Amino acid sequence: MNNEKEINETKVIDFSSDEEIRRLVVARLKVISSDTIKCIGNEGTFSRDQLIEHVQLGDKIGKTIEQIEMEWLRALKRGIISELYSEHG
Amino acid sequence: MALLVNYIVSMAKILITRPEHDPLTRCLSHWNTKVIKNAKSKGNEVIELYKDRANRKEFEGRIKKVDPSLVLLNGHGNEDSVLGHDNEILVKNGENEALLKNRITYAVACSSARALGVTCADKDTTFIGYDEYFVLNLDSHFLTHPLNDKRAERFLEPSNKIANSLIKGHTCKEASDSSKQEFRENIKMLLKNISGPDDLEDVKDLFWNMSHQVCLGNQEAKL
Repeated sequence: MNNEKEINETKVIDFSSDEEIRRLVVARLKVISSDTIKCIGNEGTFSRDQLIEHVQLGDKIGKTIEQIEMEWLRALKRGIISELYSEHG
Repeated sequence: MALLVNYIVSMAKILITRPEHDPLTRCLSHWNTKVIKNAKSKGNEVIELYKDRANRKEFEGRIKKVDPSLVLLNGHGNEDSVLGHDNEILVKNGENEALLKNRITYAVACSSARALGVTCADKDTTFIGYDEYFVLNLDSHFLTHPLNDKRAERFLEPSNKIANSLIKGHTCKEASDSSKQEFRENIKMLLKNISGPDDLEDVKDLFWNMSHQVCLGNQEAKL
């Protein structure tokens, strides 16, 4: 019983985390200019509003956008800014 | 006379595919004209497979006939293949990847470094490419004039740096490093002069492309 409860709690936490990322990505996309066209390799070319739809649907394109966001956030966390500016030249 | 002989001997043969059937390929194709101009100005022989000539038959024929030392593949792709005009497969793992052996290849084709590049790369072969999607942000106002698109420039000048560095005589590792350095410089420039959310969006995507560019096989190879 306890185990089941723990598993359920973990699921809730994971879901909440995914949902938070999704919300963050959508919020970021909403403020970019509507003139933006993003080409994502062989997946195609997307307008801002199409990107938002894909993220909300959580499909392959949406997941890729989330992954790009997460890689940047992780880089920020590990100090990419000071890394960039401490380089010579 | 000795100088002339040297000049002729050092001329490299470069094969470039330039499909143009959607915004990404059109933009890559236009920005590659800069590489072509540079290569020709240095006396290199450039063989272009433009639009519908970027097909498998032409590609295989030209590679065998010309035996280029540098192959620049612009187009879509996946883990196993690089595609040409209208997404026709030009080179595929397990079918004709041997065509890229004993050469330097730079493929701006998504994820092709993941399997195709790994298969091709060896002590005599270099494959520079991306192990994930190549992302390119454009300004819709410049779709018909890609060379005037400042957003595209942020992505494609660092990409062009690879071919231009190789043409200059640098090794593959140096070419890839200098491309990544240019990605870094563009990220720094954007962060320093950030003027809106579009700049931050480009920063993330430039960082992504930079992080997923790989140089496989012979790092010291040069033209």
